[in-house]
Amino acid sequence: MKNMNRRTFLEGLGLAAGTFSLAACGGNSSDSGTDSGAKDDSAAPADDGSYTLVEDGKLTVVAELGFAPFEYMDEKTGEPEGFDVDFAKALGEAMGLETTYLPNQKFDTLVPTIKQGGKADVAIAAITINDERAESIDFTDPYLDSNQSIVCRAGSGETEESLNDASKTVCCQSGTTGDEWISENLSNATKVPLDDVTAALTGIQTGSYDAMVVDLPVSQYLIKQSFSDLEVVEEIPTGEQYGVCVSKDNPNLTAALNEAIAKIKSDGTMDKIETEWFGTTL
Amino acid sequence: MRRSQNKRTTRLLAALAIALVAVLALVPTSAVAMTTNKATARPNEDGGSGVIGGMDTRLTWEGTVEDGEELTAITLSLPDGATFDHSTTRVTVLEGLKRVEIGNSTTPSGSSITVKFDEAIPADSLVRLEITDMQFPSEGGDYAVSGTYETADGTRQLADSPTIAIIANTPLQAAVNWLDEQPAVQAWNSVPFLGMFLKPQLLLTSFSSLFPGWLVCLAIVIAAYPFAILLGMVFALLKISKYKVVRAIAIIYINILRGTPLFLQIYIMFFGLPMIGINIDNNVLGVIVMAINSSAYLAEIFRAGIESIPVGQYEAASSLGMTHMQTMTNIIIPQTVRRVLPTVTSDFITAYKDTSLLSSVGVMELMMFSKNLTTVSGNITPYMAAAIFYLIVTLPLIKIVGIVESNIARSERGGGPRPKRKGASEATAESDLTNSATAVHAETADKKLEDALAGVFAPFRPQTQTPEV
Repeated sequence: MKNMNRRTFLEGLGLAAGTFSLAACGGNSSDSGTDSGAKDDSAAPADDGSYTLVEDGKLTVVAELGFAPFEYMDEKTGEPEGFDVDFAKALGEAMGLETTYLPNQKFDTLVPTIKQGGKADVAIAAITINDERAESIDFTDPYLDSNQSIVCRAGSGETEESLNDASKTVCCQSGTTGDEWISENLSNATKVPLDDVTAALTGIQTGSYDAMVVDLPVSQYLIKQSFSDLEVVEEIPTGEQYGVCVSKDNPNLTAALNEAIAKIKSDGTMDKIETEWFGTTL
Repeated sequence: MRRSQNKRTTRLLAALAIALVAVLALVPTSAVAMTTNKATARPNEDGGSGVIGGMDTRLTWEGTVEDGEELTAITLSLPDGATFDHSTTRVTVLEGLKRVEIGNSTTPSGSSITVKFDEAIPADSLVRLEITDMQFPSEGGDYAVSGTYETADGTRQLADSPTIAIIANTPLQAAVNWLDEQPAVQAWNSVPFLGMFLKPQLLLTSFSSLFPGWLVCLAIVIAAYPFAILLGMVFALLKISKYKVVRAIAIIYINILRGTPLFLQIYIMFFGLPMIGINIDNNVLGVIVMAINSSAYLAEIFRAGIESIPVGQYEAASSLGMTHMQTMTNIIIPQTVRRVLPTVTSDFITAYKDTSLLSSVGVMELMMFSKNLTTVSGNITPYMAAAIFYLIVTLPLIKIVGIVESNIARSERGGGPRPKRKGASEATAESDLTNSATAVHAETADKKLEDALAGVFAPFRPQTQTPEV
């Protein structure tokens, strides 16, 4: 009897999830069809149950603000800036919400923060969608493709092979896909996970570390901006995709965000933001 | 005759068969249309870097489609014992650095997995398969990923990937797996707080993997402290010097170091020194920073200690005919050492805990290890394990400080043990006040050291003995 109860309950859940995902699909397709319709849709997401927000009327975002050009703090104002920040604002606009940022938080704490809930609605911080993270939080649809890169001092002549050696120290930002990549591909080198990218790159400049593995757009941007004596020695084609992290307890928010992502992709907002930050649409 | 002919035919047939097999075997490899770039597995050893067989891990396989070919399906296989059942697969197809969306369906079956692509993948594309929650054979060994792939003109053999080293289960991992199965442990972990902060399995692995970090912490602070004491003593003496300039130097040194956070000092040293071309090993630099930082606090402690010795002691010493130097080394410093011991021990505890700050600049110490483990496991338990590692050292020290302080308090009140009655030579020295200075000198160095140590460690001695009368 007990078993029966549990089974029927699970069936009920499955059914609910099924109908919900169908509804979400429907929403998406209508979005790409007509823009005006989509606006009404996102203003009233209560079609398939409303989502909860930490603060009413606000989309509270948590991020690690040291990952230019995706998110970083403006030198003068201290306000968050970057591709992801513009993207988050566009999402907020599409959903009729005001986008606010929590203070800077370490990258490896972002997923746990969203998992716990209560502090932030979403984490938008160039977070790569992977199955391991997806076990603790939900991802929206991908919003940007990316790759990894190996950064060394200019003219160091290092390669992936030469770095895979016990005498080499390779750093990364703690908890990133670069972190994992080193464990798997440079298993002989000493891996040093650090909190922030600037400290890592400065460390390479000064010779404390031999290399860093970091997202390609970030290394390209930072080398151009302020680390002219470093170079990308290898582009690692990973084709990873960034997604927005949402708590598993808030599936309606994920659905609403997916809708919003589809909307800003179709109405040209996304292209505009991409052009602004990368000089071209990706 | 007939027999021999028969034999010949069979021989011929056998040769033909061998030739056929050889041709069949050669054909797939002769035209390479798909090259295997690499195959790696994510380390799944809790707190370690090994890949353990028989436990969930993630296999990443990468290959390139060669010129003039189009790929429609790919099958990866591993030796028996490996399993792809219950795995999830992420397929990435890339042209250069650009991602190409191609629909696909994955069918895991036992030790092989097949990915079919909805449309053919063009030449020069990179194909990456990330297979999460698959398992390698539990007995361990070096495994290569083999398999087949399908192009428009048929199925071919994939070149073997470089081997992946898999280790058999470690005793530690076996213990963790045993814990996994215990109902009591499961019940414990189902309480959110207990499961998040004190997960038994993770506590176990944390202890083993944090151990090297703990040794680094201890090594840094133990190596740094003698230097800190020396430097601190020097600056304490400089600060009570008669000369204004010398005093000023000491005051500047002490105040700047005490007035700025250690964290900042670490950053300045670790990022600043290399920028002016001074490259020092991270651990050694850690020792230097800790020594310099502690020396400022110790200088203040020593100065206060020296100044706390009553003026009467100086007067008594000079009335015995001691020089200033003799007064300091024989009378003042030993008493100072006794008085400052508790404070110095407290400072040692602080310094030991502060080594944690070095993790931010890449010194592989306790905090660094636990941080990494927390990142990997998404659980707070490694931090709790680190806390225990810190407490193993600090709690006994705190206890000692407590004992020493109460003993000192007692002896300052006039309680506690009296010095033992010494031999005749000392009795003479005591009786002949005018010769006492020379008598002190006459004593052997050993005896002096012994007395000094006895004085210093007096507060540590059990205080129960009845004073001799």
